[in-house]
Amino acid sequence: MISFLAQPGGLDALQAPEIDYWAMAPLLIVLGAACVGVLVEAFLAKPQRWPVQVILTVLTFAFAGLTLGLRLTKDPKGLTTVAGALSIDRPALFLWGTLLALGFGAMLMIADRSVEPGGSFVASAAIRPGTIQDRAQAGQHGMQTEVFPLALFALAGMMTFVAANDLLTMFIALEVMSLPLYLMCGLARRRRLISQEAALKYFLLGAFASAFFLYGLALLYGYAQSVKLADIAEATGGTDRSDTLLYAGFGLLLVGLLFKASVGPFHTWTPDVYQGAPTPVTAFMGACTKVAAFGAILRVLQVAFKASSWEWEYVLWAVAIVSMAIGAILGITQTDVKRMIAYSSIAHAGFLLLGSIALNHDGLSSTLFYLLTYGFTTLAAFGVVSLVRNADGEATHLSQWAGLAKRSPLVAAVFSFLLLALAGIPLTSGFIGKFVVFRAALAEGMGPLVVVALIASAVAAFFYLRVIVLMYFSEPAADGPAVSVPGAFTTAAITLGVVVTLLLGVLPGFALDWAGAAGFVF
Amino acid sequence: MSSVFVTQAVVDAGPVSMGEQVAFYVLGTGSLIGALGMLFARNAVHSALWLVLTMLNLGVLYMVGQAPFLGFVQIIVYTGAIMMLFLFVLMMVGRESSDSVVEVLRGQRLAAGVIGLGFAGLLVAALVRSLTQVKPIGLAQPNAQGGGNVANVGKLIFTDYLFAFELTSALLITAAIGAMVLAFNEKRRRPAYAKSLQQELVEARFQGNRPSPLPGPGVFATANSVATPALLPDGSVAPESLSEVIESTARERLDPDLLPEPDAHALTAPEQREGES
Repeated sequence: MISFLAQPGGLDALQAPEIDYWAMAPLLIVLGAACVGVLVEAFLAKPQRWPVQVILTVLTFAFAGLTLGLRLTKDPKGLTTVAGALSIDRPALFLWGTLLALGFGAMLMIADRSVEPGGSFVASAAIRPGTIQDRAQAGQHGMQTEVFPLALFALAGMMTFVAANDLLTMFIALEVMSLPLYLMCGLARRRRLISQEAALKYFLLGAFASAFFLYGLALLYGYAQSVKLADIAEATGGTDRSDTLLYAGFGLLLVGLLFKASVGPFHTWTPDVYQGAPTPVTAFMGACTKVAAFGAILRVLQVAFKASSWEWEYVLWAVAIVSMAIGAILGITQTDVKRMIAYSSIAHAGFLLLGSIALNHDGLSSTLFYLLTYGFTTLAAFGVVSLVRNADGEATHLSQWAGLAKRSPLVAAVFSFLLLALAGIPLTSGFIGKFVVFRAALAEGMGPLVVVALIASAVAAFFYLRVIVLMYFSEPAADGPAVSVPGAFTTAAITLGVVVTLLLGVLPGFALDWAGAAGFVF
Repeated sequence: MSSVFVTQAVVDAGPVSMGEQVAFYVLGTGSLIGALGMLFARNAVHSALWLVLTMLNLGVLYMVGQAPFLGFVQIIVYTGAIMMLFLFVLMMVGRESSDSVVEVLRGQRLAAGVIGLGFAGLLVAALVRSLTQVKPIGLAQPNAQGGGNVANVGKLIFTDYLFAFELTSALLITAAIGAMVLAFNEKRRRPAYAKSLQQELVEARFQGNRPSPLPGPGVFATANSVATPALLPDGSVAPESLSEVIESTARERLDPDLLPEPDAHALTAPEQREGES
């Protein structure tokens, strides 16, 4: 047996793969900072952890952004590194930039301790909700600072996910980004039971979706004898292989990806998890996970399955239509602000899928641009949601938002602007995003789909406008919520989102140029 | 066992041999039975043991399929380490907790069963078709090259899949932190005077609100228990006399006879005491 396992003299010298550390620097910095964050948790006393973690996080984003900026100035096309596992091309760099900016905004909200005294995370998650100890810790001002390294790990997973050039790396990146999110969903300071329910639901459904992804990966490996996207693309060009393996594998793989992007019929987790998770985490998920998932969908579709697109195109048409319909119609019936934004995100996922199916350069650049605009708008919207509070925490029921403009004109104006951006009204980034995506889809001959998308946008606009009407033209309830004055962190996050939403609505040219700089490298 | 490998290694990628077929049918049936048993076992421990059966069968199947390293890893790591750890956790958490048989959504189970069976049928039908189309490629060829199966797996891990391999460390760290966050209950910090010097103790007493010792419990006032609160002159409960342990224990967990009963000798009415405590 030994002679079989290790044949004598057969071991060649290993050729270590080339690693371009400079190209990977933003990713490595985020991963390294997450590890340092874990050490901070291990070795520092409890009161010191929060400030150190905040400083570490800010430094991380500064350095990662700096290296990313340096990277953008050279190497116009991009490269693959670590034996082709990562493809650091222009779309990947654009998505990295988007993820870092959105992640920074979300981290500011995570770090905030002014809106909710002590932060929106529980002081000790191990204490069972509803016990006397739990009531005692509600008054404590600490928070579980493990959230910082967890969020950084999730961010690193997302950055790997959008740059992964083979399915195996993509799968592990999927897990690296999901696992911390499952955890963070369950750490809310208020309404802990619903938060834990959200975490459990997300975990079970997410594990299920990962299994689909893995099954698809295995079948595709059987099809192409490789997990590299480029090899799969090459294999689809030939005719001597089993189509069953290809389409079964592709379908299962896509279920896993669409689940993460909360598209269409794979959306069931979205409203519950968005509602239950602490609002900063919801903002992080709503903005960054969407970007990461669609980044990966774009890469998989454009790199690996472009040649076989005429076989699956109409399946994704149907998925996009279902997603837009579910998001727009069920969104109308919602009475909770967070659930409403969740259904809005499902409708937006349908629009994004429209751009992803348009397998040309315009489709790529317009979807990237849409992701950028949608991320910032959602981030700021959840930031505003976290400000409207009553004694029980956030007042998310829509009836409580009645007459908000009379209590706080500024917050109502900001939220109205963000809702208009989500609806896609001109002078906001949402309009430009929708416009470029629909144009790219039309150019690909997806006219009927664009018509459906326009109808869905109109239906969705109804429930955004309903909230605006509610805020401006209703009498405030007697025991309505108060609007807290946010500290520097949340203010910065909301301002970032609003400014970018306005900027991309008025001057979209530079971002569109970045998004369309070059295609995928594989 | 080594003879099995050698004979398999000799057979090249051609048609599947008789021995391999027999092994496949035996092991495949075993793993399927294990999987079904895991799903339908009522007891969580039984479920875990059925899963062990599936994993053992899969492990042997890998070995028959000329991937001895994967087979051993399957048996040693999954069956040996992970499943046993899993059983430990099950035993510690308690295995009494059984499924609720109440259907929250009406007809959900039926619908899930029908759709699940339909999906499985679709997948099996498709894969059966692909079995005839796909040319089997054994591992004999790659196993003969390089340093054999194990060395080749190692080589792939440290070259082609280096990044994926390194990235799993992030996964492991996350899992460890997650377990700590969800399960580790930090001990309540001792009061400041517990470990301090006599002088600090004195200062703490005289600069604090209460120079005198805390009142004792109301033992013998109405009952013979340290859980009985001391009563102040106006008949209300002295909160300082309540034991911290009793206060911090969930009410349901206390023995029923420790809870204040309506008592004719009590100086205040039960409702009033309820409100004060």
